[in-house]
Amino acid sequence: MSAPAAPAAPGVPADATRARIPARRPRSRRAKWILFGKSVAVAALLIFTLFPTLWMISGAFDARASSASASLIPVEFTLENFTYVLAEGGFARYLLNSVIVALLTVAASGALALFASVAVARFKFKFRTSILMMVLIIQMVPLEALVIPLFVQVRNLQMLNSLLGLVVVYVAFSLPFAIWMLRGFVAAVPEELEEAAYIDGASWWRMFRSVLFPLVAPGLVATSVFAFITAWNEFIFALTFMNDPEKYTVAVGLQQFFGQYSNQWGYIMAASTLITIPVMIFFVAVQGKLSSGLVSGAVKG
Amino acid sequence: MRKFRTSLAIAAVTALGLTACGSGGSGDDGGNGGSGGNGKSGEGETLSVWIMEGTNPNADAFFKKAGQKFKEKTGAKLDVQFVQWGEAHDRFVTSIAGGTTPDVAETGTTWTAEFAQAGALAPLDEQVKAAGIKEDLVDGLVEAGTVDGSLYGMPWYAGVRSVIYRTDVFKELNLDEPQSWDELLKTAQTIKQEKPDLIPWAVPGGSQYAAYPFIWGTGGKLATQQDGKWVSGLTSPEARQGIEFYTDLALEHGLSSAAATTWDATDVLDNFAKGKLPMAILGSWAAPTLIEKNPDLEGKLGAFPIPGPDGGYSPSFLGGSHLSVFNSADNPELAWEFVKMLTTTDLAAQWAEETNYFPGTESLLEKSINSDDPMVKPFATQMVEAGTTVPVTPKFGAVQGKKTIPAMLQSILAGDKTVKQATSDAAAEIEEILNSK
Amino acid sequence: MLAPALLLWPLVRVFLFSLQEYGLRQIVSGESNYIGFDNYAEIFSEPMLWQIVLPNTIGFAIVAVGGTVVFGTLVALLLASLNRMWRAIVSSCIMVAWAMPAVTGTYVWIWLFDANTGLVNTLLLGAGILDEPHNWFTDRWSFYAIVVLNIIHHGFPFVAVTVLAGLLGVSKEMIEAATVDGAGAIRRFFQIIFPTLKPVFAVVVILSTIWDFKVFAQIYLMPGGSGSNRSVLNLGVWSYVESFAQNRYGFGSAIAVLLTVMLLVVSVVYVRTLFKEEK
Repeated sequence: MSAPAAPAAPGVPADATRARIPARRPRSRRAKWILFGKSVAVAALLIFTLFPTLWMISGAFDARASSASASLIPVEFTLENFTYVLAEGGFARYLLNSVIVALLTVAASGALALFASVAVARFKFKFRTSILMMVLIIQMVPLEALVIPLFVQVRNLQMLNSLLGLVVVYVAFSLPFAIWMLRGFVAAVPEELEEAAYIDGASWWRMFRSVLFPLVAPGLVATSVFAFITAWNEFIFALTFMNDPEKYTVAVGLQQFFGQYSNQWGYIMAASTLITIPVMIFFVAVQGKLSSGLVSGAVKG
Repeated sequence: MRKFRTSLAIAAVTALGLTACGSGGSGDDGGNGGSGGNGKSGEGETLSVWIMEGTNPNADAFFKKAGQKFKEKTGAKLDVQFVQWGEAHDRFVTSIAGGTTPDVAETGTTWTAEFAQAGALAPLDEQVKAAGIKEDLVDGLVEAGTVDGSLYGMPWYAGVRSVIYRTDVFKELNLDEPQSWDELLKTAQTIKQEKPDLIPWAVPGGSQYAAYPFIWGTGGKLATQQDGKWVSGLTSPEARQGIEFYTDLALEHGLSSAAATTWDATDVLDNFAKGKLPMAILGSWAAPTLIEKNPDLEGKLGAFPIPGPDGGYSPSFLGGSHLSVFNSADNPELAWEFVKMLTTTDLAAQWAEETNYFPGTESLLEKSINSDDPMVKPFATQMVEAGTTVPVTPKFGAVQGKKTIPAMLQSILAGDKTVKQATSDAAAEIEEILNSK
Repeated sequence: MLAPALLLWPLVRVFLFSLQEYGLRQIVSGESNYIGFDNYAEIFSEPMLWQIVLPNTIGFAIVAVGGTVVFGTLVALLLASLNRMWRAIVSSCIMVAWAMPAVTGTYVWIWLFDANTGLVNTLLLGAGILDEPHNWFTDRWSFYAIVVLNIIHHGFPFVAVTVLAGLLGVSKEMIEAATVDGAGAIRRFFQIIFPTLKPVFAVVVILSTIWDFKVFAQIYLMPGGSGSNRSVLNLGVWSYVESFAQNRYGFGSAIAVLLTVMLLVVSVVYVRTLFKEEK
């Protein structure tokens, strides 16, 4: 059981394959070729990775995106696509709705998952394994299968047509994975540390705040990303639960919009860009912590 | 008129799913509308209404006016929400299930029976009788809104598809309106030769209503009832011949485009608006939308009834909408007031005029049918002479939901199946659905 | 534990629905209408299940998971061999692909392959490879090729980032020792790196499998994907279309149960592997 492996952890030599190799001289020509090969690979990778995004953004700024003449650099630069989807397409409203839903989901699922994971990782109780199993099973369930029963359930809670109803469902969906990941982090915290805190006279709550929480925080970041993405991207439930266009989230808003403007690629790409950018910022900002969270959470089954 | 009355029956679902400019949602919280209140006056109440989006480019202004009139008359506020055709069915279903239905909604005529059977709609017989308008309602629309002898959908408007074409292109190439399938083919071929940029006759794989005239034109039938069982006529030589002609426009004559294989009605409208199509099977209501999308088309649009194989006309599907009152309405009388206002006053005439649809009462319809307007007359002719219906059963909605006809067309257009194979498969599917319990 | 319970009950209900002839009327009235296992009998006697839906679902999952994991691992190895600055730059770019929501990503791919205005057709026409625009969405194979591309593009970053984090934890001494012993790069990977990272790969493979089995939006939103092109249906879309377009919620639920059971089998394998590692 090792500590979470963080990619940017200080002191870890960066390259495994460039390890000191004996007989350095005769290989220098080969090293050049390797460097060249790597550069080509990196370039190809970047093109494959970024191209759809760049194409989307360029289309969003191009007044002629709906005709075949679109190119990677907008032929006819315009902001009209954006102003149109925000004003006429209703995306200002959808974005606000999605932000509300996503932030509430992140906060609620983070808090709940933290306590649940402590319970699962620390306390040995009878149904521990069954709860873990349940958590996994829920991860498998196809969302579209649950639309009808969940719909009935949320109806009984009087939460249809309310953003809060969506939050409840999204929290329920992101919790299993969040617990699954966080328990790895909690398990990695040596119990001696906790015990030491107790010996110093700390309460459980204090121990939790000053010992456990800081060590688990990177995992929390990773789970937040997942909760955020779940809430931001989810489509079927948002469509079924919301009857009022004023309460659509971005994914539904985009699908509705596409139904109406199926060949107006400029508008669709502008709307897509607006939807994608918040997620991208969020992702890139937390990327280092994300990977370490994934590994330690997932591996420590 | 007799033929018209008997034929005007069931209606469009996605057919009417043409979309227009974006008029966003309106109003505040939808909810269940009316709160408390008693007596006839609707003072302090709100009536929630769902209307299909894209039918009327001026819908916002129209309902603003309707709201004012409604308030004057009843004292109640009107809250209109616009729903897109494409998602409307699911939205109705979920709101019926969730108890969040509006008080009044526009329902496509094939849905009314389905929702009524689910127990969601209130019968309107007494109100219609009391208002003394029963005789004036268009028979076919009444038939489509009737379940077990009770009327659940108040006829609002009806529409039919014909061919809309570009008069400027026809003039330039000296083309006449085709009178038979052969002429249609030749016209399209001439356009292909002279105007290679245009798609002379798009064959949209996702649009069932553009295909029906070719099935019906030769005398083919989608399904008929024989000894209490539904039998599909798609495998008849007539139907196959028609479908073959239709798909060969794309496959053999290259008059369509590869993209059109996955087009639906919206794509056809969109490409027509972009000036890529010289003619297409479109509804009368499409004309205002086309001009709104592309003002350059003003004055360049014409229409002709869909020709028959050897002259005459090929039948086209007659669709329309009801206004229905939901059981969840707190104040059914208020709801009926609104329905009556929209379907019988001058608002009904205004709606028909603005949307290029035909109104749902005979007294108003008479006027449209005798119109000389070049964008009304061909459709009126189509409706009276060659308007027809899909099989009259609430189950046909399931056939549409299963996309049986689009699947058949796409498999032929993509070269996956022969006409014979595809029609056999589609016929089996239709029979299975219609004959299920 | 409240929230998982909130999901467990619906799961039970889906199963109960699947034993009923459950339409709109039943939803409204709340009455039940049990018909035993008739829905299941109908599913299994449906030739489409065997000829189209299952092959599509399973075949797609295998190709997509294989493609995602192999490509993601290659990228992780590449990243591991870069210096810190470049690794940070490239990882950030990879995040961009991951971050793009499935709905928007799908629309971008649809546009790229659009028959009239798509870049792919424009390029192929320009290069003279195609004589006339080609519709990539009608053919089962090219349709799924686009879906696979979409899924790999969206899914490989998760694999790459996870495997990379694992790679950086692999003991340098072991790799060096193997190198000194004359082991080539491929042998090093399979003899040292892969066994050490086995749990990581287990996680990555299983999660990808689950995600790819129930892929929905990426198919449903494509032209013809919502039911009119029968040859591209998968279990998830089939279930949804039967439920909502046909109002056959019982039949749709039965398909959903089938899908869930299949995923359950996969997950049992997953849990077995993991707990074995722990012991």
